[in-house]
Amino acid sequence: MIEAHDSLIVRSAGKLLIPLSQLFALYVLFFGQYGPGGGFAGGVILGTSFLLAVLVLGPQAPPCRLAHQLEHGDGIGLMIFVGVGGLCLIGGGTFLDYSNLQIPGWNDEERRSLGIVLTQIGVAADIAVTALSIVFSLGQHHSQEASHE
Amino acid sequence: MSEHIQAALERPSLIAFVVLFLCGFFVMTTNSNMIKKLIGIYLLQTSVLLLLVTIGVKQNAASVPILTEKHIESPETIAPAAYVNPLPHVLTLTAIVVQVATLGVSLALVAAIYRKYGSLDENEVLQRIE
Amino acid sequence: MRDQLPVILFLVPFATAICLPMVGLKAHGWCRPMALVSLLVMFVLAVGNLLLVLKHGEQSYGFAGWSASASPPLGIVWVNDALASVMMVTISFLASLCLLYSGPLSPATEKPRIVPYYALILLLISALTGIVFAGDIFNVFVFLEVAALSAYALVALAGGRALIAAFRYLILGTLGSTFYLLGVVFFYATTGTLNMEDICQQFTKNPELLHSKAVVGGMAFLFLGLGIKMALFPLHAWLPGAYTHAPDAVSPLLAGLMTKVALYGCVRVLFWGLAAGAQTEQLPALTLLGGLGMVAALAGSLLALAQQELKRMFAYGGISHIGLILIGVSQANQTAFAGSMFYLMNDAIMQAGLFFIAGAAIQHHGARTVADLSRLRRAPWLVTAFIALALSMIGIPPTGGFFGKWHIILGCLEAENYLAVTAIVVSTLLTMAYFQRLFLSMFGHREVVPDSAAGALAPSTKLAVGLTALLVVVLGLCSEPLISIFRETAAGVGL
Repeated sequence: MIEAHDSLIVRSAGKLLIPLSQLFALYVLFFGQYGPGGGFAGGVILGTSFLLAVLVLGPQAPPCRLAHQLEHGDGIGLMIFVGVGGLCLIGGGTFLDYSNLQIPGWNDEERRSLGIVLTQIGVAADIAVTALSIVFSLGQHHSQEASHE
Repeated sequence: MSEHIQAALERPSLIAFVVLFLCGFFVMTTNSNMIKKLIGIYLLQTSVLLLLVTIGVKQNAASVPILTEKHIESPETIAPAAYVNPLPHVLTLTAIVVQVATLGVSLALVAAIYRKYGSLDENEVLQRIE
Repeated sequence: MRDQLPVILFLVPFATAICLPMVGLKAHGWCRPMALVSLLVMFVLAVGNLLLVLKHGEQSYGFAGWSASASPPLGIVWVNDALASVMMVTISFLASLCLLYSGPLSPATEKPRIVPYYALILLLISALTGIVFAGDIFNVFVFLEVAALSAYALVALAGGRALIAAFRYLILGTLGSTFYLLGVVFFYATTGTLNMEDICQQFTKNPELLHSKAVVGGMAFLFLGLGIKMALFPLHAWLPGAYTHAPDAVSPLLAGLMTKVALYGCVRVLFWGLAAGAQTEQLPALTLLGGLGMVAALAGSLLALAQQELKRMFAYGGISHIGLILIGVSQANQTAFAGSMFYLMNDAIMQAGLFFIAGAAIQHHGARTVADLSRLRRAPWLVTAFIALALSMIGIPPTGGFFGKWHIILGCLEAENYLAVTAIVVSTLLTMAYFQRLFLSMFGHREVVPDSAAGALAPSTKLAVGLTALLVVVLGLCSEPLISIFRETAAGVGL
């Protein structure tokens, strides 16, 4: 049984820090193009921020309800990844050969950069949802809720 | 014999790998509590990843292979010996993701066993089945 | 699009598996038709791939535009040759058959479980596709893990005792994968590459690398890991529990595919990665695998003789057949290689067929143990299929099992390994003994035990059981072209 944390200090700090960490997760995701970071780290931070919301603010708070909705989006991240790869196939090259993405007016390097960013977004979405669903499936309270729906 | 010991002491990462590997193996095989077995497996896999990362290290303080404008202007200054081998790091990333997925599935299994049989100890669960 | 067939073969079940959670939210009645259609499409594409490869020869597929024919190849390479295409046809055919069979027996009757069940099966099949096509040792690791994780979850779907069996499978399987990864690390440290062809070239260029401690240690860990995955005799402890307690609809799929594809991976690493280097003085890998295979063949059939439960007996039978195939692989000549690959195909179909019959017996007649088999006397489809599969398991012409064993024995005689021939013959006699036990129980008793729930078999069950029995005989009659394909593959590797 997870309830909202007793202390007002923890709850207020949570309300400040959770959106900040989600922003940081997005920063890490896009900074992966130029330095360390990328989809895996960004996805983990995103998933952890939602978990922090559940632990600190309790299961009835709006971020927690959003997390429950997200839990159903199991395949979205992988769909983005496979979708990008499939677009490359359709464009005429091998799987994940980003230079075949048919975008008019862009040259080879820009297409490859866009392809990598899209796959990293897909990976981050997938890892965030996976982290959420692993923790939710372990909690008996939540799984009972889910089976009653 | 002494030159073998000498060679082993010069490579501390390999000693760390062997110690962690054996610790993980011991924890996994001797405990009957299922969560402790999972901790042992996690330790086992982490030790292999440690070995994988330390293989890519180069001497003379090799740095991260990131392309900057200086390199684009004069590509002949790129010397392979000055940059850490990135392939083991990529392999480690993939193996970490595999490790986390395995941990997720195993924890879900243990939670299901606990809900059904009420105990986390393997011997007790086997007794309750009979 | 013709060159992209390996990736399309992988993407068809994978994309369907990814879309299933979204579909399952709205309309979960669509999950089963979608899964079935995607597996049937995959089967058609696999047959097309086989015909293409037979006509045009081996093809390599380089991912993301990195050329596959550069030397050394820089990117991930998938190898699409005759052996891989035949394995793909087998995998997709067995998968569609298992899905057809599982209709009335599905463990997924309540709503929250339908989506995970079909998604896991499709993920398992796509991961096995990845192992079959893989051209470098790390790809094999990743797909081996994906397949294993899906298998752990599928075994656990039955609840109850299956949870413990799945946990044991998980612990041992993860141990195996960790050992395999350790072997890959050692190989990477010595040769600097992960591509199987490139490793082979490195070893031919510097033969002294083969005798270094790192490579010998790497080989030991690699084959230890793969041995756990394919349930080689001393490392088989997870298999009987997992296959016996798994849901009846899932056991045929796992029994027919998991250990066989792991053995295929072992063959790829042995002959395409290590090639002539598989026999070193410190670790004569082929001799060791052959010896363990002999022990497995004998021990598996001996243990099967002592079992009471049907599914457990068939699981131990599978262990003995893995040993048999390994004996054939370790002789290192063309005849034995062709025989063992042909026997691998047959064994996948035979194991699936036996578990189809066991599942139908449990579902329709309540016959779980050997003693209850007399309830099956009035079931014509099950009895006929059982007779055909038994003939093939023992190895009586004209079924496929006979031709596989025949070529393996010929190969052992060619290599003058009479111990292996003795082991194969004794194992065959033991197989005949436990099937004799089953037949006695089925037909021998005077009084007929009344059936508790003898409903008519569903048409899909009849189709699945009948097709496997028919296929085992057809494969035996048409064994020549397949054996010649495998011989050519062996010649291409230098055997």
